[in-house]
Amino acid sequence: MSEILLDVQHLTHVFRLDKHAVIKAVDDVSFQMKKGEILGLVGESGSGKSTVARCIMNVYKPTGGKILYRDIDIGDKAQLRKHRKMLESLRQIIFQDSTSSLNQRMTVADIIAEPMSIHRMRPARGSLRAEAEFQLSYVGMDASYLDKYPTELSGGQRQRVAIARALSMEPELLVADEPIASLDVSIQAQIINLLRHCNREHGCSILFIAHDLSMVEYLCDRVGVMYRGRLVEIAPTAELYANPRHPYTKALLSAIPIPDPIAERSRKRIDFDEVSFDRDGVLTRIAADHFVLMQEEV
Amino acid sequence: MTEKELFTVVGIRPEPPAPKKKVKRLKGFPWISGILLALILLCCLFAELLMTKEPGYLDLQNFNVAPNGEFLFGTDTLGRDIFSGIWYGGRISLTIGFLATLISTLIAVVYGSVSGIAPGWLDALMMRFTEIFLSIPGLLMVLFLQAILGQANVLSLSVVIGVTGWASIAKVVRTEVRQIRNSEYVVASKCMGGKFPHILRKHLAPNFIASIMFMVVMNVRGAIGSESTLSFMGMGLPLEIISWGSMLSLSEKALLTDSWWIIIIPGAFLVTLLMCLTNIGNYLRKSANRKESNL
Repeated sequence: MSEILLDVQHLTHVFRLDKHAVIKAVDDVSFQMKKGEILGLVGESGSGKSTVARCIMNVYKPTGGKILYRDIDIGDKAQLRKHRKMLESLRQIIFQDSTSSLNQRMTVADIIAEPMSIHRMRPARGSLRAEAEFQLSYVGMDASYLDKYPTELSGGQRQRVAIARALSMEPELLVADEPIASLDVSIQAQIINLLRHCNREHGCSILFIAHDLSMVEYLCDRVGVMYRGRLVEIAPTAELYANPRHPYTKALLSAIPIPDPIAERSRKRIDFDEVSFDRDGVLTRIAADHFVLMQEEV
Repeated sequence: MTEKELFTVVGIRPEPPAPKKKVKRLKGFPWISGILLALILLCCLFAELLMTKEPGYLDLQNFNVAPNGEFLFGTDTLGRDIFSGIWYGGRISLTIGFLATLISTLIAVVYGSVSGIAPGWLDALMMRFTEIFLSIPGLLMVLFLQAILGQANVLSLSVVIGVTGWASIAKVVRTEVRQIRNSEYVVASKCMGGKFPHILRKHLAPNFIASIMFMVVMNVRGAIGSESTLSFMGMGLPLEIISWGSMLSLSEKALLTDSWWIIIIPGAFLVTLLMCLTNIGNYLRKSANRKESNL
C-alpha cells in the first residue's frame, strides 16, 4: 500500500487565450498517490480538476512542475519515449461525456478491443471479440450488445462500455474524469460499485474526479479539494469530512444535503467569500496526513 | 465457478438482452439508375462478348451507314461499327473516370487530413493554396498540363484530370477532420497509444467518408465529362483510341452529313451514365445527412 505510484510536484498549467489573456487552470498543485489507493479530487466547475487529469495522461503538456509516474518523469521527452508503451497500457482514462468519448461509427466490440489492437496484444481469451465479450460481462452487460453502436445504448451503458475499454488493458492507474456526472443516481451507484470492485479485487489505483461529495466520501480513501486551480486541502476521507480546515472546504461540505428532513432543515450553509481566498498560501501539514493551504507562519 | 462468475461485480443489475435491431438500409435508393449503371458497367466489362465487329476496323465500304440489322447503331464517318465501339470505348471512358477519381481522392484525403491536424498557420496556408487552385478554371489547367505531357493517352489523361480535381474534396476532408480531431474519442485513442495512421483509419476516415462519398461519385462524373470534352475538342484521346469522347469528336463532320446516329448514340450513353452517377451521388449525400442520432 505504501509504494508511491504517482507523484505530482508543483504542477502548473496555463491556457493562453490570445496574446494578452492567459488562464491559470492549474496553479502549483502537488500530491502523491499510493499504489492501490483511490484518491478523490473535488471542486467546482473550472477549478482545474480535469486539467490535472489530462496533464497526468499526457494530453496537455504542463507549463511547469513535474509528474513522476513510478519515478518516470512523464514530462521529459527522452524518458517518455523510452517508457511510452508501458505508460500507455498502464494508465487509462474515462471521460465524463461518454457520448463523445466513444466513436459513433464503431461497434461496442471494436471500441472495447481498440486499445488491445493498438498494442497488438495477444488476447488471453482467444480472439479480440471474446476478450471484448468478457470485459462487457465484467461491467454487467451481455454479449448481445457487442454489435451495437454507441447511439443505440443508454448513457449508463455507454459509460460502462467506456470503462470496459479502459479496463481491458488491466491498468495500474485509472483516471476517472467525472465518470458519474451525467448519469442518474441508480446508474451512478452501479458505476461506483464497479470502480470499487476494480480497486479491491484487482488493485487498480483510481484518481476519481467528481463534484458529488457524498459519492466521493463513499468511494475514496483520500480526498483533495481544488479551488481556482489550487489544491486547498488534502486529507484522508474520514479526517477531511470530520475536520475540514480550509474555509472553502468547510463551505463545500456544508452544501451536502442530509437525507433526513429534520436534520436537513437545521443544516446551515456556510458561504465562502471569494475575495478572502488567498492564492499565495503554502500547502502546510497540520496532521499526520492532512495538508491545508494556508499562509506561511513567520 | 466459471471465470465469468468469478469476475461478476456484486450490485450490478444484469441488463436484459438487447433486442435484435432491424436492418433498414438502402431506403430511397435510386434503383433505376443503379440497374442502368450496373448494366452499362457489365456490358463494358464484357465488351468482347457483345461486340459484333472489330471496333477499330475501318470498314471503308460501309461508312456513315444508318443503324440497320448488320450495324446495330450504324457506322461512323471512318466506317467503324458504333455498337461495338460503344462497349469498347465505354471501357476507356470508365477507366479514365475511376482512375482520375482514385488519384484525386487519394490526394484529397492525404492533403485534407494533413491540413486538418496541422497547426493553425500551416492549415491556413494550405487552405489558401487550395482556394487559389480552385479559382483557376479546371479545363484550362487540364489543357495546360496536357500540353506539357504531350500526346494524350489513357494514363496521362487520368493523371491530368486527377491532379486537377482534388481541391474541393480536400476542403471537405479538412473541415471534417478539424471537427473530429479534438473529440474525446480521438484524445482517448491517443492516450491508449494510437498513432496517426491508426487514428486516420479508425476514427477520421469512417467519419468523413460519408460526407465525401457524394463528391467522389460526382468526381467520376466530372472526369468522364472532362475526357469527353477534351476529346471532342480534339485535345484528348486521338481518334484511333476509341472512347465515348473520341467518338463524339466526329460529330462535327456528322452534322454536315446528316448522320444523327454518330452524335445521338454515344451522347445518349454518356448522358445516361452521368445521370445515373448523379442520382446515386444524390442518394449518398442524402443518406449522409440523414445520419441517425438519438443523442
